[in-house]
Amino acid sequence: MTTIPIHPAGKPAYNLSRQAREAEIVLDHITDDFDGNPAAMQYFYDLFRRVYIQGEALAHEGKLIGTTCIQAPDELIYAMGGTPVRLCNGSYHYDQIGADFMPAKSCSLVKATLGMLHADNPIPRIGKPDLIVNPTTCDQKKKASAMIEDMGYAVYDLEMPNVKDSEEARLYWQRSVRQFAQKLRQVTGRKLTKKNLKAAMARTSRAQAAFRTLHNFRKASPALMLGKDVFLVTNAFFFDDIERWIAAVEKLNAELAQRQADGYQAAQRRAPRILFTGSPPVFPNLKLPLLIEEAGGVVVADETCSANRMLYDMTAVDEWLLHDMVDGLADKYLKPCTCPIFTRNDDRRRRLLELAASFGVDGVVYQAFAGCQVYEMEQKSVAAALNAKGIAMLYIETDYSPDDHGQLTTRIEAFLESIKTRKRKRA
Amino acid sequence: MTPSKSACITPLQAVRDAVNQVDFNRFRFWFQAIGFVLFVYGGYLAIDLGSRLPFFSCGYNQEGRGGVCYLLPLQHQLGRSWPTLFSAASLAILTGFLVFAAWFIVLNKGWCGFICPLGTLQDWITALRRRLGIRYARYSQGQFAQLTRIKYILLALTILIPLGIGGGWFSRDMSPPFCLICPARMILPIFTGDFSQFTIDFSSKTAMFMTALGMAVTGLFLIGSFVKKRFFCFFCPMSALHYLISRPALLKLKKDGDKCTRCGDCYRVCDMEIKEIADDIKTTDIMTDDCTLCLKCVASCPEPGALKATFVGIPIFESTEAGFIKRMTREHAP
Amino acid sequence: MKKAGSALALFALLAATNISAQPTEEQRAQWRAMREARGGEPAGPRPPEGATQEEKRVFYQKRAAERAQAEAVPAGSEHSAHAGQAPTERKAEGSGKTGKPAVAPTPTFAGTAPEQTRGGGAARPGGGAGGMGARGGGALWLSDSPPSRGDGPPRAGMGAMGGMNMGGERSGPPVKRLWLRAGTDPQKSGFAREDAEAPAETLLVRPQGSLAGEPLPPPEEGRKNLSFEMPVQGYYRLYVTTRKLQGDTLNVAVAKAEVSNFSHGGDEEERSQALVAPRVLESAPIEIVREKLPNEKMFFQLKSGEHQAFVVLQKGLPLQGARVRFVSHEGWTKEAVSDGQGRTSFQVVRDYFPPWDDFRKRFKATYLVIAEANAAEAGRHKDQPYGSVRYQATLAGSYYPSPDDYRSHAWGLGVSLLIVILCGIAVYLYRRRRTRPFREVRLDDAE
Repeated sequence: MTTIPIHPAGKPAYNLSRQAREAEIVLDHITDDFDGNPAAMQYFYDLFRRVYIQGEALAHEGKLIGTTCIQAPDELIYAMGGTPVRLCNGSYHYDQIGADFMPAKSCSLVKATLGMLHADNPIPRIGKPDLIVNPTTCDQKKKASAMIEDMGYAVYDLEMPNVKDSEEARLYWQRSVRQFAQKLRQVTGRKLTKKNLKAAMARTSRAQAAFRTLHNFRKASPALMLGKDVFLVTNAFFFDDIERWIAAVEKLNAELAQRQADGYQAAQRRAPRILFTGSPPVFPNLKLPLLIEEAGGVVVADETCSANRMLYDMTAVDEWLLHDMVDGLADKYLKPCTCPIFTRNDDRRRRLLELAASFGVDGVVYQAFAGCQVYEMEQKSVAAALNAKGIAMLYIETDYSPDDHGQLTTRIEAFLESIKTRKRKRA
Repeated sequence: MTPSKSACITPLQAVRDAVNQVDFNRFRFWFQAIGFVLFVYGGYLAIDLGSRLPFFSCGYNQEGRGGVCYLLPLQHQLGRSWPTLFSAASLAILTGFLVFAAWFIVLNKGWCGFICPLGTLQDWITALRRRLGIRYARYSQGQFAQLTRIKYILLALTILIPLGIGGGWFSRDMSPPFCLICPARMILPIFTGDFSQFTIDFSSKTAMFMTALGMAVTGLFLIGSFVKKRFFCFFCPMSALHYLISRPALLKLKKDGDKCTRCGDCYRVCDMEIKEIADDIKTTDIMTDDCTLCLKCVASCPEPGALKATFVGIPIFESTEAGFIKRMTREHAP
Repeated sequence: MKKAGSALALFALLAATNISAQPTEEQRAQWRAMREARGGEPAGPRPPEGATQEEKRVFYQKRAAERAQAEAVPAGSEHSAHAGQAPTERKAEGSGKTGKPAVAPTPTFAGTAPEQTRGGGAARPGGGAGGMGARGGGALWLSDSPPSRGDGPPRAGMGAMGGMNMGGERSGPPVKRLWLRAGTDPQKSGFAREDAEAPAETLLVRPQGSLAGEPLPPPEEGRKNLSFEMPVQGYYRLYVTTRKLQGDTLNVAVAKAEVSNFSHGGDEEERSQALVAPRVLESAPIEIVREKLPNEKMFFQLKSGEHQAFVVLQKGLPLQGARVRFVSHEGWTKEAVSDGQGRTSFQVVRDYFPPWDDFRKRFKATYLVIAEANAAEAGRHKDQPYGSVRYQATLAGSYYPSPDDYRSHAWGLGVSLLIVILCGIAVYLYRRRRTRPFREVRLDDAE
């Protein structure tokens, strides 16, 4: 097995694990090869360097609850004194380890997650989770459940319907979430109360508000910052301390506000504005966003579960009593979700069109991890919906392997070029 | 509200932002409280807005009422003997209806969500329950689909029984039929110290039956609105009548389905459990027959412009991200 | 706990409310005793079910005649039954009038209503017999119903809405008809006969007309009621004054009627003007004004059991020392003397005690108030001198059974409380053992 570095690293060759080396290459590329990185991004660069490269252990409060999907309600975990950590992994190194568990053509993300859990001394060094919550979303995550359990972890299958429109599904999911709350009580030994849940929701809500502000700054044209940094920010939410994360994002927002006032341009005025959708980029696999921005595009918005879908939707509650709060949370985690595992994808198409419209998007890049059938299957209908509105879409089937780097570069450059041509014609 | 626009805020925009970020629940609480005082105690202040009001400003609250609910005169007028009813004199019924419609058109069902004293009272009972930490009840979708018809049946009876009385088929002791079973008749006069409606009338069998039914409904109202938000509004024939003439109304609830993520926040706060508000992305005029136009959905929608209240087509209250976050932050404060 | 709370509140409510119930056995007994004292069924027998119009007429004529005879014998006894309500017959006046030759139905008030007119005529045979009502004298008063045919009071006005006129009921302005009757019993007074020596002067005061009033045109040919249109809202007052010299004494009698005409949704300004307009005729030699109750509004109904005050005025000024008699529907009387403000107050006695199944809550009963005063004023009337004047004023009104007679707070509260408790328990139990799928996991809000 060979790792072909995306860019030859000119860094001191101290002894790094292959994972750390992979991370370092990507991080260096992010920090060094682009102009105009916001100063406030330094927090995130440092964070990733410490956690992914230097292998710094992550501290956590209370029980550590690993989650394999954004559908596991963080608020409940925080309320009962636990710390959630998202286990989804983007490392090609772990992908290769995980390949032992899954068929060859299956989702890199699931394989990498399995590989990381299987590894003896995994990075990031989160410690062994007291419970791994595995929402029953796609087939590969469903089947991973038993495998993770076999590795010696406590696993909880959070039952998730694969239809979201029906009332039955909604009630079924509400019950699942209530049962999950009970399970958490067993694990943490703490009781769910109005007070602690409200506090947890308030915290998440602040994080969401910070994210939304960041999100809105990306509407600015020309762009105020590049998309690769935003992916790094949202990736940090997987494992970072939520309060620190909020503070760092707010600092970043302040800088962006200043940039806006100054009329700063992070990308060329004519740079194609790209909406990223499909399988989630998870550090260090920021392959596609980086390729887009290297080629002169700018990712201004995304519709992925490692960024927008994770932090965008906010919960409203009518009565601050547990029954309303928990059911409200359950609704928020199910109803607006645009994951392709659901029978219908109307909401996803509408969401993409709305994002394309409000962010002045020129083209959409649709990433599907090889083996992620649901994304693969949805691409045609999504492309049709976008084309009907005159928005070009590039569908890319890929995985964590860097092998297709050259081929992808060509395709993306061609795509961006065609957008530029069209823009020029229109102008 | 995009940051890029914030640089050039016009005064109008500033007013709009202030309105959209208002502490809506508090605003509505005080608006309702004022409405309640106006229509339950207004009589003492010599306020009389006539007897064609499109909400339960109960006429039996002789002393304090600031106007009379239209259902009372309507039932009386329809209860005339048929020769009178079908004479030219009944033009008055038509003009009365037009006055009622003119009142209604201004606020649409907003009368229910912001003014109706019986609605306000239910919100207060709900607040009491919430303070006691008792959870609310919800209907299942199946129950909802069945129960939502009741108000039309009641409206039909409210019109047909007086006609039957005029035709001599029913006793005059049944008149006005809906008022006799309407909890507002019993409960609103109590606020002015008038307990005279809190009785059973033994003067005839019909009167006895109707007043006993009325008292039973009052009991149901008290317990029902304690466990269920806006319990009575679901069955209100006035609400049904409203919906039938709501098309030309000036105040409207609009939805932009393209901006909706169907997150269900609006449905969560909806006192009437109207699922369409969250799930229907095609209808722009989203007010349904059960809606009370309380606009809580607009206040709890985080998607800019997805929901809005318009008056003669001009948006007066719109869902905004900033407004949502501000309101939620306020609620989150311990 | 929540249920206990609401139940407690309702109990408190129950305790705080005065509770009335159905008429007690005692009240029924009272009613029976009264019926006996009055010497017969007030309602009287009814004609057979399938009787034709002609048969009914014959029946009523016959019965009215019988009754007139029966009542002629114990003249005055009808006012003596109630302890503490001393009958006060004014013999001089009565005898003075009986001396007159009885004239059959007067031309002026000759009627087209055949039953009533003829019934009335037949009831008062020439000899002037027939109790107070038929004595041809008694007090002159204005009634809103003609003398009844004897089977209970007329259901005047079709009080469909309990006196509430909801607006636009008829086309054209409403017309009010009043009958001048003579006697001191609201039920039994017959038509007043025309007296050539004492012609009736009518004066109608309209809400927006002259305060001094204007004469009412005499009734149309063939009608015996005084009628007028009421195009605007407000109080219409009709005064019928007769002056008659009797020896050295001038009798001045003023029969007054006050008709309130209000409608819902009418002209707001008109209504508010009418509500504050004066209700006194300054030129009236004597007049009774019903004092408005403090809470009185447009659609006012006097209920039995309530206190009603009357003010006796002479030329618009309070008259002290007038003898004021209040006569209830069933003939109970009470007399009082007006005070310095010309005021007297009566409690409207409850005198409606039918068997419970016949009870009608909209039963309209008529009361009659008669005020009399003597004055040593000398003058001339029709060129005849007189040395004293006897003033008499009358005012009739209606009252209804008190809601307390037929409405029960206890039962009302009981029923609602029962429902509250039953539903409360049902909700509580339902929530406790709820097994609805997906709802079996309960979240506990207690901290």
